[in-house]
Amino acid sequence: MTDQSKPSDPAERFREFVTEWERGFDALANRFMGTDEFSRAMNQFQNMQLTLQKGFAEVMARQLAAVNLPSREDVLRVGEAVHELDMRVARMELKLEQIARAVGVESERRKQGPPRTKRSPSATAAGA
Amino acid sequence: MSDISSSVAQRVRGIVDQAILRSVKGLEFVTAAAPTVGMTPKEVLYERGTLKLYHYLPQADEVYRVPVLLVMATTNKAYVFDLAPGQSMVEYLLKQGFDVYVIDWEPPRPEEKNLDLADYTQDFIPTCVRCVQQDCGETDISIVGYCMGGVLSLIYAATHLDGPLKNLACITTPVNWAEMGLTRIWSDEKHFDVDRLVDTLGIVPKSVVEASFEMLRPAQKAAGRIRVWEQIWNDEFVKSYRAFERWGNETLPLAGEYFRQTTKELMWANRLYTGDLVVGGHKVDLANIKVPIMHAVAEHDHIVNYKASKPLLELVGSNDKEELVLKGGHVSLIAGPNAVRRMWPALSRWLGERST
Repeated sequence: MTDQSKPSDPAERFREFVTEWERGFDALANRFMGTDEFSRAMNQFQNMQLTLQKGFAEVMARQLAAVNLPSREDVLRVGEAVHELDMRVARMELKLEQIARAVGVESERRKQGPPRTKRSPSATAAGA
Repeated sequence: MSDISSSVAQRVRGIVDQAILRSVKGLEFVTAAAPTVGMTPKEVLYERGTLKLYHYLPQADEVYRVPVLLVMATTNKAYVFDLAPGQSMVEYLLKQGFDVYVIDWEPPRPEEKNLDLADYTQDFIPTCVRCVQQDCGETDISIVGYCMGGVLSLIYAATHLDGPLKNLACITTPVNWAEMGLTRIWSDEKHFDVDRLVDTLGIVPKSVVEASFEMLRPAQKAAGRIRVWEQIWNDEFVKSYRAFERWGNETLPLAGEYFRQTTKELMWANRLYTGDLVVGGHKVDLANIKVPIMHAVAEHDHIVNYKASKPLLELVGSNDKEELVLKGGHVSLIAGPNAVRRMWPALSRWLGERST
């Protein structure tokens, strides 16, 4: 029930209208998009795009090969090799850390921060 | 009568003032540079490909013994934890005396297309945990996972039973993927050829991820624009809107194998829920998780339905478990006004009791 004693605020009414419109539109759209037919149509459209994209990539790769330039796949293969090296270095770092721990050499703490002595809220409250 | 006319005059003056401000501020809004986000002082502790680990510089005179590691969802940037001063979960936790670390994700590079759930949960998270241990000198660690970051944290927790995990907090984390609503319908195996998508593209582009979020609330962007126009004289509202808008526009692409595995194993077969998920040769049985666990869920979450996230606490084997159901949506739970008032204090209290 509207409070008759207060004058209505047009800005507030506008905000309420936008919220109602958003809710209504989303609900309607979600009912439509929540159907099996929509899902099928959306995925068919995506598959069509993928087919086009794949075809374009193949044509481009042939063009690049014709002018003796590396294709995207060639560049990616180099990237993958670098990535594999990166992963190997990470694994070696881990092994070295494990060996260091096993022989009792603890890695040095990087820096000195504030003391780690803070008590829990309940302990602080009980102690107060 | 004179009272009425003076009241009407005041209101008309107010409307005219706002209209003038709207024109001035509207020009500023259109021409302004992207808002600055993630301003809390931090350092990069570790980075490798898509993975980035930050350490936020402590802001309290003494901190809790156990550090906190926040794990961001793989679909978005982690600065949603640190949008702006006063609107930052990280800043809040630092001021409450926590030592905070954050796992953030960069867009995966083409050569990272083969990353899968095992890489994220058996390599990336354990590596970050070791970095945190080494950096702060403590063995125990608390993990807070948001959305898909929560799923990764759960898989890590269920497969590292003798690990250093002391507490686990999940925020809007999907567990029963059969209840993922429209996302489940759109990715139904009858129509969605995930193999074709991944095999053709390698990396699932940002546009696909972004569209899947936007289609859940198709009117949200337009309504947001109308609201900001109406409130454009309100600097705080505009600042917050622009920060959220920037974050929403910076959706991340996903590694193809990770996307394929998430679709097939979690979305289609619902293996996290049924307990049949195997990651990197390890069976992921959530009942094996015995550490204290908290789950914060949003009542009106349109991305992870309440029904999808609710079963988590029934599935874990912890005795010390707590569910926090809050009003609000998927993002407002960690960065909106409700987060500031309820979520952050509740998380801080819960962690604080278990971090000494």
